[in-house]
Amino acid sequence: MSQWYLGLSTSGHDPALALVDAEGTVRFAEATERFLQDKRAWGVTPDHAPHLGAALDEAGFDRDRDTLRVGTSWASVKGAMGRPPHDALLSGADTLWMQAVQTQMQAAAGLSLLRLGLAREPVEPLRFDHHLCHAVTAAWFAPCDDAVCVVLDGEGEVGAVSAFDMRARRLTRRWRSWGPGSLGTFYGWLTGLCGFDWRAGEEWKVMGLAAFGQVDPELAARMDGMIAVDRGRLRFADEDMLRTADALCRPFGRDPAEPVERAADLAATGQAVYSAFADRVIGSCMADGAATDLLLAGGCALNSSYNGTLPGRHGIERLHVPPCPADDGNAIGAALLAYMHETGTDAVPRGDGSPFLGHMARTRTLDKMRASAKGFVIRETGGMGGAARAVAGCLAEGRILGVMRGRAEFGPRALGHRSILADPQQTGMKDRINAEVKGREAYRPFAPALRLADTATWFGRSVPSPYMSLTLPWLSDRPAPVAATVHADGTGRLQTVEPHTAPWMSTLLGALEQATGVPVVLNTSFNIMGKPIVHSVEDAAGMLMTSGLDAILVEDTLIEKPLAAS
Amino acid sequence: MTDPTATSDAAAARVEPFLIGAIARFTRQPVEAIAPDSVLVDLGLQSIDAVLLSGEVEDHFGIELDPSTVFEHDTLDSFAREIARRLDAA
Repeated sequence: MSQWYLGLSTSGHDPALALVDAEGTVRFAEATERFLQDKRAWGVTPDHAPHLGAALDEAGFDRDRDTLRVGTSWASVKGAMGRPPHDALLSGADTLWMQAVQTQMQAAAGLSLLRLGLAREPVEPLRFDHHLCHAVTAAWFAPCDDAVCVVLDGEGEVGAVSAFDMRARRLTRRWRSWGPGSLGTFYGWLTGLCGFDWRAGEEWKVMGLAAFGQVDPELAARMDGMIAVDRGRLRFADEDMLRTADALCRPFGRDPAEPVERAADLAATGQAVYSAFADRVIGSCMADGAATDLLLAGGCALNSSYNGTLPGRHGIERLHVPPCPADDGNAIGAALLAYMHETGTDAVPRGDGSPFLGHMARTRTLDKMRASAKGFVIRETGGMGGAARAVAGCLAEGRILGVMRGRAEFGPRALGHRSILADPQQTGMKDRINAEVKGREAYRPFAPALRLADTATWFGRSVPSPYMSLTLPWLSDRPAPVAATVHADGTGRLQTVEPHTAPWMSTLLGALEQATGVPVVLNTSFNIMGKPIVHSVEDAAGMLMTSGLDAILVEDTLIEKPLAAS
Repeated sequence: MTDPTATSDAAAARVEPFLIGAIARFTRQPVEAIAPDSVLVDLGLQSIDAVLLSGEVEDHFGIELDPSTVFEHDTLDSFAREIARRLDAA
């Protein structure tokens, strides 16, 4: 008999679940969208019964003997506050809808325990402060004991920013902002103005597009007036002023039907203004010199372009962004807080840094594939070293591979376990993957993965980025062009790899160096645009069949298209 | 032994001038126009102002309020006593 803790991300968007064991170790974490293959899984309960059942089995939970305590990632219920939505920037209807789904998630959290035979009557979950969940998640992944933690989010219990101090892994809140004023909302507004959809999570497209534009100082001044930053706290200007700024910025925007380039200057300007706002918040939090480590969390911590500017500024020596800084990641925070609450622990447990917390591929499906996939070439590579050599050989020939190996990553980035890989030296590789594999806009960049020890050789400095959280400028005189992973502004959103935390990618980079002479691999998520990252072997095989992928690796089995194999 | 009511009264007396000053600023009227028994809504305190006021109270007194706290009190004095209660508990 053992006590477990189930953390649920109950925002209504990006639901996810996490399981923590009796020792306070995160044993499993996964976003609902992966299991359902429905991007962002809006309005789906994070303890969706079939998903929770599969997760409990995977984590080793004994349904006959073990017990589960549930925690949610919000203390309050948005629909119960009765406040009119702030609709000067985002549609009031969307906000009301988000409030409604958050209310539903909070009400339904934990009910699946009835369905799974783990409770005889509805359980009352523990409810935790939303930004504290973000902070605890960040702390779990951070390899330090003392830090400042800043949560930059779209929303919160009372406002969209919180600052915490971590001392000996104990988190205390320094302050939180109240009232409207949100960098997440600002970026969502910018995303819409650029002709993209924040509800689909298309903020990435703005960030990528920014590299093609120029900052317009007049436009920047208009945007800068939209938010006042007072000692780190954010406050929107009054609604009339916001509507005026919106009207002034709109001519620089684009209709979704127009070419993306049209919004490049707007994207560049918005990204610059976002960075200036974020700088004021973070500068204020770091000003007292209380710490040299910064934990950055909340949805805005996915802004890798801005994150890359932080190390070395504001007294920040080390920046720690968890692999899951947005609301999906709060499942871990809620589960750990439930553990801490029930065991009277006030220090946040420290993980081993591994983001590989999700499902393993069900290799039984491979047996069926061997019998049924006529015409495909299926071969066993014989373990991690053999798989790495086989993949490296394919990449060196200019082929594009999908890899499904080991436990899935938790968070939006593919870090080598659910990744599409390619050789970044191959001519035209960026265009090929965008057009033939992922169905993305031609301008969108791809990220490199390389060993941390090689980072100084390629980027001129050694900054750890194990979860692909920051973008840095490549050295102009780098050893090889690796053009497919160099963005229009000369940067790359790098993943740094170390053997003890990412043995597969480390081995693969060694094999690739042997095959091509260059230890840099193009790494993008194993999905097509608009779909979540693949979850099942069937998802991976389906994508092989319906895209320009040349082969997939499932565990140590390589499945190649007949033409690609010949 | 200390009388808990007395402690609360003393704390409330410390909180009231802060609230009066802040509400005067939000509602653009002189502090003289605001009394402990003033009804918050009658003073013209908008719901957004009440939210921002809660943030100022948290910052100034180093306590934690719930988002709904301010809306559960009709008068300035009643809100001040709730803050005082939390100050005593902290």
